[in-house]
Amino acid sequence: MNRMSDLIRVEVVYALPDRQELLRVELPAGATVRDAIENSGIRTKFPEIDLDGNKVGVFSKLVKLDVVLRDRDRVEIYRPLIADPKVVRKQRAAEGKAMKKGAGEYKGC
Amino acid sequence: MITAILIMALGAVILGAALGYASVKFKVQGNPLVEKIDAILPQTQCGQCGYPGCKPYAEAIAEGEADINRCPPGGMEGVRKLADLLGREVKPLDAEEKPKQVAIIDEQLCIGCTLCVQACPVDAIVGAAKQMHTVVASLCTGCELCVKPCPVECIHMERIVENIDTWKWKYPVFEIKRVA
Repeated sequence: MNRMSDLIRVEVVYALPDRQELLRVELPAGATVRDAIENSGIRTKFPEIDLDGNKVGVFSKLVKLDVVLRDRDRVEIYRPLIADPKVVRKQRAAEGKAMKKGAGEYKGC
Repeated sequence: MITAILIMALGAVILGAALGYASVKFKVQGNPLVEKIDAILPQTQCGQCGYPGCKPYAEAIAEGEADINRCPPGGMEGVRKLADLLGREVKPLDAEEKPKQVAIIDEQLCIGCTLCVQACPVDAIVGAAKQMHTVVASLCTGCELCVKPCPVECIHMERIVENIDTWKWKYPVFEIKRVA
């Protein structure tokens, strides 16, 4: 089996509140996250994407740019948070609003 | 004696091979009716029917366990199509019919907790831990499942207003009249 000649199909997505792009790319097996982003042409649509600044992931899991993709993966390019999670939590506590169910699962702070 | 055993063994082999071939050749993939019902359902996987998704609801309908009027996203049109397919009576929807909506995340409040991402049945939310979460509007089915899990109440639903960008041509529905 010559697996290296197989093609994998992945999606590359970058989302702004008012505009989201979901691009499909075909790549040779063994392609990495970086290959997918470069080949999708998403950076010409959103010049602000900076592969050193924006974190990337596959289906909500942060990954490094040199991770090898699997067929049907969705490469996601993220944007940083605006709010500071700690501040939001403090504010809500001060206003007497409870963090609802599920809040305890957040391991960020 | 030996001839008899050989004949029986040969018969067993031939019949076994025939059965094996038939089971591969004439394989039925599940209940075809379930597929047809599932094709009518809107695939929002929202669970408002009381079943964990559209396919389980389709299976329940096919087995006669569930009524056909339990799917709010499908609306009355969905009920009508199901009634046509199954030869059942059209019933009024067992819930309010809601206008099409899309989830919006307030970026000023999002803390990147991924709870909404996990709740979304159609992977319409892009985001990872401590990264901004964003709804991909074209994938969002408006099922509201992401609204509740958010610990900072930063998700709200917005009605999709019909304008030139969002308007979709609706298939005309022709009533087929029986000519006596």
